[in-house]
Amino acid sequence: MGNRAKTFWIYGVLLAVLLVLPMMLPRFYTYILALIFVTSLLAMSLNIVVGHGGLFQFHHAAFYGVGAYTFVLTLTKAGLPMWICFILAPLAAAVAGFLIGWFCVRLSSLYFGMLQISLGSLLWAIVFRWYDMTGGDDGIHGIQMPEFISSTSSAYYFILLFFVLSFVIMYLMHQSPFGQILRATRDNPARCSAVGINVRRHQLTAIVIATFFAGEAGVLFVVLERSVFPDLLFWVLSLEIFIMCLLGGWFTFAGPVVGAAIIVSLRTFVGAYTEYWTMIIGILLILLIFFLPEGVMGFLVERFKGKPNKAPTEQTERAHASS
Amino acid sequence: MLRVEGLQKSFDGFMAVSSADLRVGKGEIVAVIGPNGAGKTTLFRLITGEHLPDKGRVIFKDEEITGLPPHEICRKGIGISFQIVNIFQRMTVFDNVQVAVLAHQRKTGTLFSPARALAVEETEKILRNVGLIEKTQSVSGSLSHGDQKVLEIAIALGSNPDLLILDEPTAGMAREETSAAIDLIHRMTDELGLTILFCEHDMDLVFSIAGRIMVMHQGKSIIEASPDEVRSNKQVQEAYLGVS
Amino acid sequence: MPEIDLATLGSQFLVGLSRAMILFTVSAGMSFVLGVLRVPNVAHGSLYMIGAFSAFSITKLVPGPVGFWMALILSPFVVAFVSFVAERALFCHLYQREHLMLLLFTFALSLILGDLVKIVWGAEYKSIMAPPLFDGTVRILGASIPKYNFFLLLLGPVVAVCLWLFTNKTKVGKIARAAAVDREMVGAVGINVSWVFAFAFVLGCFLAGLGGALVAPTVSIVLGMDHDLIIEAFLIVTIGGLGNMWGAMVGSLIFGLTQSFGVLFMPQFAIVFPYTAVVIVLLLRPKGILKSVW
Repeated sequence: MGNRAKTFWIYGVLLAVLLVLPMMLPRFYTYILALIFVTSLLAMSLNIVVGHGGLFQFHHAAFYGVGAYTFVLTLTKAGLPMWICFILAPLAAAVAGFLIGWFCVRLSSLYFGMLQISLGSLLWAIVFRWYDMTGGDDGIHGIQMPEFISSTSSAYYFILLFFVLSFVIMYLMHQSPFGQILRATRDNPARCSAVGINVRRHQLTAIVIATFFAGEAGVLFVVLERSVFPDLLFWVLSLEIFIMCLLGGWFTFAGPVVGAAIIVSLRTFVGAYTEYWTMIIGILLILLIFFLPEGVMGFLVERFKGKPNKAPTEQTERAHASS
Repeated sequence: MLRVEGLQKSFDGFMAVSSADLRVGKGEIVAVIGPNGAGKTTLFRLITGEHLPDKGRVIFKDEEITGLPPHEICRKGIGISFQIVNIFQRMTVFDNVQVAVLAHQRKTGTLFSPARALAVEETEKILRNVGLIEKTQSVSGSLSHGDQKVLEIAIALGSNPDLLILDEPTAGMAREETSAAIDLIHRMTDELGLTILFCEHDMDLVFSIAGRIMVMHQGKSIIEASPDEVRSNKQVQEAYLGVS
Repeated sequence: MPEIDLATLGSQFLVGLSRAMILFTVSAGMSFVLGVLRVPNVAHGSLYMIGAFSAFSITKLVPGPVGFWMALILSPFVVAFVSFVAERALFCHLYQREHLMLLLFTFALSLILGDLVKIVWGAEYKSIMAPPLFDGTVRILGASIPKYNFFLLLLGPVVAVCLWLFTNKTKVGKIARAAAVDREMVGAVGINVSWVFAFAFVLGCFLAGLGGALVAPTVSIVLGMDHDLIIEAFLIVTIGGLGNMWGAMVGSLIFGLTQSFGVLFMPQFAIVFPYTAVVIVLLLRPKGILKSVW
């Protein structure tokens, strides 16, 4: 089991480094790292349904926003203790995921995506306009966090803790029968039905799990930023997370983390030099589409493990179908 | 075990199956034959729930299963191997069959145990039975066409069916592969006690292994009888076998 | 709820209708691209924005009513040119790939074009005025509507008819429609499918530019126009039926009218109305109201 031991060591060293970093880096870099963790969690949650489930989850950010806003609103308006808010938020996101998902799984691919975009946009529109409740366009800022996570580095550790926990849980799910069958439903839903799998129920479960984690990411975002705003629910963010998964390699497990890290870093550092980083992301995306469609991780996996991880193009799919 | 009565199905005005009747007893090997477009594949799809019949009934083990969704019909004990190879291309041979076994064992919701360790024995037993045990770690998309068709059958076996439906199991196979497939079919009935319903274009094959044959023509069941009776039936000869 | 009399209701209805015409122009373009290439063009909003900004520049260069009409006529061509360049240089190489890649390409294009607009025109608000010809209002059955909106109301059906004639009566249009239904057949009879796609894409973008130019006098021309519009167009096309031009009309009417009435009844939540309408339509008829092209 040399490979697995190697992987353990790599992750172990990585974790040790991450634990030590805040003590060595300026606060700003600690903040960026924490932001990367939050975004990675969000991207990984999306990849559960997109990369592993093959569903066109085009408006995942809506659940991120639901999580964030639920957390803030229960904290500030309802005055509930933080721990309760902390749990309610992902649950609310999962409920939203269930409701929206229930309608969407009835439809195939493109229609799934479109219905989700419309439902998600509706949520966005409501949040955007409901000034009294949600602060509307301005959002809500300056939210008080308890002592033990009020500094950047303490927030960092808090976020890192939950990120690692979630990462491990998602990994276990990935390797489990649930994960394997989810991937099977992605590759061949008709075959799955024929062997007794209730494909819709399986997909819906995956969606609920994914949106739960998205909601958790929303909470962690608030812990870091102390604010919420409607952009968290905007479709542009949804597409950005999608790209993170693609960039990292959506058939791999940890790919979205790589994608999130790259995009967040780019946005921060390139953004410091030029106000046109959006264009740069656009160019990067085009380069990706043309030269690296497997994403960074996918490319590395192919190179170093020799395991075929290719996403088939339409042509090869058609060739297989007619053989 | 299986009774099909008066099934009818049309697609956008085209009547694929106008009236199909079929009877399959436990342990039998029954073949459905007919020229292209006779409605054989549609009939199979109606039985497994992929299509909803316009009229008629399907009764399995004395229970009416007409109109149930495919995954529930599979749970009742019907497995199908598709005409056009329909495997999980990206997964290994082992994983392909394991998916079916896990589904059968109702372990699809297991979230926290590694799949690698589950259902290994059962999966390997099936692979040994069909003769693919050497290739368990190969990616299924890279197998030869004949092996892929055998894998199709193996996946169907993973659900431990009572009735196994094979849609043109030897289509596109080479000579040796075909005889291996015939052996497999015999083994499945003799050793595993399966009931088999299949359709084929290879007439030698059909007449050599089928216990009974049902002939379809233009969506209708013309006759259901023993191979000899079918061979000598005038209607069948006109419709299908030609002058022989 | 404010006092609403029939005249106000009528005016809002007409204004909503005129807005729907602009939405239709843009959505019809997007629907056409969606129908032929099977890909929603995320850059459609950016091209709409470029149409508006180009109109601004042209009116700046050539003042007065002449400049205005020139802007209306030339801006769509500017946009068509931009889209043509993007298509031939990059997009056409992706036609063999999965649809998702094409969609992501259009998204990347929208990001690039969005910043390109920032570079060329800067970040401040722009505005243009309609020529004096359009000052004042027109009364229809007791309801009044600004003259420019009335113009839009008339123009909408004209665009629809022209588009219909083009796709149903011209050779090029018919080929494009055939390609929407079965691109392989079209290729098999010897037609260069890539050029058909190019044509469809450019035409769709032309309409986006036209919409942008037409809307310019009625709104502030600003960065972010693309984001607002693309979701609206996308949803309209979805509820209308993919690739279906009349569907785009129906969808635009639903969207435009629900928004106007939203403004009347619950101004704070006006934009929630059209989105809710879309959700309701999709729940009842997930494939759209009219038949999709494929």
